[in-house]
Amino acid sequence: MTGSRREFLKGIGAAAVAAAGAPAIVSAQGRKGVPSDPVKIGVLAIRAGIAAPVGTAGLRGTEWWAERVNKAGGILGRKVQLVVEEESNPKDTVERYRKLVLQEKVEVVLGGISTGVTLALGPVAEDLATPWLSWDGTTQKGVDETMPNPRWAFKSVDNEVEAIVAGILTPKYFKGVKTVAGIGNDYSYGHDCWQSYQAVLKRYVPDVKFVLELFPKLGVTDFTSHIAAIQQSKADLLMCSFWSGDATIIMKQAAAVGLFKTMKGVFTTAGGVHDSLKKEFTPEGLLLGYNTMYFDDPKGSPLLKEFVREYKARYNEYPPYECDHAYFNAESYKAAVEKAYAAAQQWPSKAQVVKALEGIEVESLSGKRGWREDHVQMCNFYQGLTTHKNAYDFATINPVEVVSTRQAMKPAGAKLFDWINGWKI
Amino acid sequence: MTQHVVSVLMSGIFHASILFLVSAGLQVVFGVQKIFNLACGSFYALGAYVGVSAVQAYAAAGGPAAFFIVPLVLGGLLVGIVGVVIERGLLRFVYDRDETFQLLLTFALVLMLEDVIRLTWGTSPLSTGGMYLVYGQVRILGAAVPVYNLIVIAASLVIAGGIGALLTRTAFGRIIRAAADNREMAAALGVDMRWLYAQVFTLGTVLGTIGGALVIPATAAMSEMGIELIVEAFAVVVIGGLGSMRGALVGALVVGLLRAVAISVYPELEMLLIYLIVIAVLVLRPRGLFGAAATAA
Amino acid sequence: MKGRLGLAVAVAAVAAVPYVAPTYHVLLMLPFMAYGVVLLGLNLLFGYTGLVSFGHALFIGIGAYTGAFLTSRFGVRSLEVIVLTAAVLGAVVAAPVALLCVRYVKIYFGMLTLAFGMLFYTFVLKFYRLTGGDEGTPYLRPSLLGFGLNDIPKTDYLTGPYYYYSLVVLVVAAAVMWRVVHSPFGLCLKTIRDNPAKAESLGIGVGRYRWYAFMISAVYAAVGGALLGAPIGNVDPTLAYWTHSGNIVFMTLLGGFASFFGPILGAFVFIYLEDFLKSLAPSSWRLIFGALLAATVIFAPGGLMGLVGRARPRST
Repeated sequence: MTGSRREFLKGIGAAAVAAAGAPAIVSAQGRKGVPSDPVKIGVLAIRAGIAAPVGTAGLRGTEWWAERVNKAGGILGRKVQLVVEEESNPKDTVERYRKLVLQEKVEVVLGGISTGVTLALGPVAEDLATPWLSWDGTTQKGVDETMPNPRWAFKSVDNEVEAIVAGILTPKYFKGVKTVAGIGNDYSYGHDCWQSYQAVLKRYVPDVKFVLELFPKLGVTDFTSHIAAIQQSKADLLMCSFWSGDATIIMKQAAAVGLFKTMKGVFTTAGGVHDSLKKEFTPEGLLLGYNTMYFDDPKGSPLLKEFVREYKARYNEYPPYECDHAYFNAESYKAAVEKAYAAAQQWPSKAQVVKALEGIEVESLSGKRGWREDHVQMCNFYQGLTTHKNAYDFATINPVEVVSTRQAMKPAGAKLFDWINGWKI
Repeated sequence: MTQHVVSVLMSGIFHASILFLVSAGLQVVFGVQKIFNLACGSFYALGAYVGVSAVQAYAAAGGPAAFFIVPLVLGGLLVGIVGVVIERGLLRFVYDRDETFQLLLTFALVLMLEDVIRLTWGTSPLSTGGMYLVYGQVRILGAAVPVYNLIVIAASLVIAGGIGALLTRTAFGRIIRAAADNREMAAALGVDMRWLYAQVFTLGTVLGTIGGALVIPATAAMSEMGIELIVEAFAVVVIGGLGSMRGALVGALVVGLLRAVAISVYPELEMLLIYLIVIAVLVLRPRGLFGAAATAA
Repeated sequence: MKGRLGLAVAVAAVAAVPYVAPTYHVLLMLPFMAYGVVLLGLNLLFGYTGLVSFGHALFIGIGAYTGAFLTSRFGVRSLEVIVLTAAVLGAVVAAPVALLCVRYVKIYFGMLTLAFGMLFYTFVLKFYRLTGGDEGTPYLRPSLLGFGLNDIPKTDYLTGPYYYYSLVVLVVAAAVMWRVVHSPFGLCLKTIRDNPAKAESLGIGVGRYRWYAFMISAVYAAVGGALLGAPIGNVDPTLAYWTHSGNIVFMTLLGGFASFFGPILGAFVFIYLEDFLKSLAPSSWRLIFGALLAATVIFAPGGLMGLVGRARPRST
């Protein structure tokens, strides 16, 4: 066979495979149009402060993905090289982002968690013309989108989706709730969750009364005074949007005074520290949210099971949802590169990768996830009632409710509260 | 109604105990050495992390849950030894310098200890799990109060009393007070200032680490908790008066109770109220409630 | 003469950077120049008047938020207006703060300034409906000398026109500060620093002069803040956190507070060292930085300029 005919057949084969929707088969090195040097992937990870565990989980998920990909030959035969920088405050993170793109010359930047940072990164990503896939950060101001038509920036699910899901599930599991108290961190996420939860609950329980709202600042480690106020309110239910060590603390301190003996509890995002919610102080019957990944999902794929097993073996912890966000971002990038390669027959440009990302769907740790056309993640959310019937020393959930962003996230261009108020109940 | 008032009161006093334990170390060091130790929050954090490790090791070795407080306190006390290392190895080089250099050195300590803690224990929040609930709860006038909280409150009072006794009834205490009053005079009278400084700084460090260890069962150890705490400790010592133990106790009570009441009645205010009081105190009565006269221009 | 030549060479070198250095390093010069302005002011207070403020990030924040509010809320894009407004607002806020703070010295001064800094931080964070809270407020691209320059990519704007604008501001700020410290006013400040009682007896109103020094330093910090915010594009409360105040004092000390150009050198070294360490030792750069600060305080309190023999700090 002459070289050009071999190329031609290879090209047809790859195109056929790509057209069938399967990822391109990894073959021996030296694929046409693919550089031999490693593909540099920038990663921004939080290392310090209250969100450090989230950043660590994301980085671990990305590293696990990279190891597997490299073991299987890399992306189209190119090894993956992660270049990691720290996400801290907006000013410094913008500088690190610029370093990744301008100095390290990465092909894509993965990461970004806190909204203050990602709001600053959005315009910078657009200016530097490099795809940026955010793990958990949006470009929302409150509940409103500030960058509805980005070219290069890919954002996480809307901040308030877990609160909306919790609001949908509350009347299902907690009938007869008349009064609700809320506690969240005193920043955009805490406020957005509370507002969204209220709006959704009011659709199902129109005469519900919100009797107390508390917003301790991020980093507080003692909630005894807050719990006293919550007890005084005599609310039927407490909604809490904590997602880090403070969720563990308030659960512990609440158990010490028996708060949940008489009050229902909804923890929208405490799945972030799920394995610290020990059975001794986490009662059964609370609604607990695991964001987009529940590690013990009975319908979990072999991929998830393998990840959980290896994560536990390596870190002696059970993985939280940020691992799934990170894995999805990395995997979707790989799939987009492969898809764009199949069409162009050479390593795609950044613009081609971006085009390929729109609308793509890949198999992530939690199952199928994808990017909506307007560059926002689409996925499932896992919430359920806490139970002690498991083999761990911490609480898990049963039953597991799976709610898709198709149901719980506002469509592109919609205004959140108009959309919620327009639901047919 | 009484039940609620008791709840608020007890929660305020509990928080005050935490604040006192963080601030006590700060006061002792400032009183004698005139150094405002920005790293006092970091020592507190160190004690917290070591406390968790000690209790986890104890539980893994099969120790009965009821006595977990023993390894906790021991861990907290032992790690206070770093105080000697830091004082002899770092701080003593700047005693003859301007106060601001000393302040900057403690800022350097904050930076270093943050990374040391993170490199040793990682970034995930660490806690002693359900140990907090081991002693159960009591009912005070209808309000449920965890017994462990009462232990922390009692411990703060014991420590406060102990320091008080140390300062007023022992020779060491007399020397401390003399040196706090007039360093040169004390040195002239033959006090070995080097040895005194080492002891005082270590005492301050131990107060911080034991505070962190004692409180951790009720909370969790988190990254950068030291940096957050210094701001609250600062408020306490300003209100109470820099260098005064009594000031730390009263200041902690003021801040703790005010905060508890604010959360109950007008949650919006919380921290803002505390800052405004700090500024008011610094402007109207900079020595605080019990402090010595401020260095006026 | 040698000094002037060296200075001219330095300015020429900085002006040449966009032509010779990689884009990223050119961008790093922007916070360097902004901090340079801030530190010129901070050192008037620290080196020349003997007062160490641990809350100056407050004024950086005021400058940055001025730019953010003017560009995104009021539609005012002119950087000249932004800088001027920042200077005025910095002075307006500094007036009462300084009045309260200069009554005290040393540790109490440091504590009071720290308290004010954190009060501003808490205020900006809490009143999110007004300030954007943790999400911050966008600082849109300012226009320079009337030129909108909106169609060129932001990076080209930053490494080109904005770079030279910042350089001019820094040079002007330095020239003004040079005159200030070499004037009778500056001499009075030094006298107050070294011997307040004597100063008082000479008829120098100690409190009043300290107040002036504080005001000037606040204006400088606000101008620096206005310059610092534009490249980020979004201004948030972390700019006013107490550790940011600590960092700028660190920079001043590192460079040498007893010399005029020391702090500027300190800003340069700090920024490049921080960038280098963050990539080299991502898990332990804070440890290294802390050790560096400790080493500077203990072994080289005169900073880099002191090591080079350019300045001898007075031991107090």
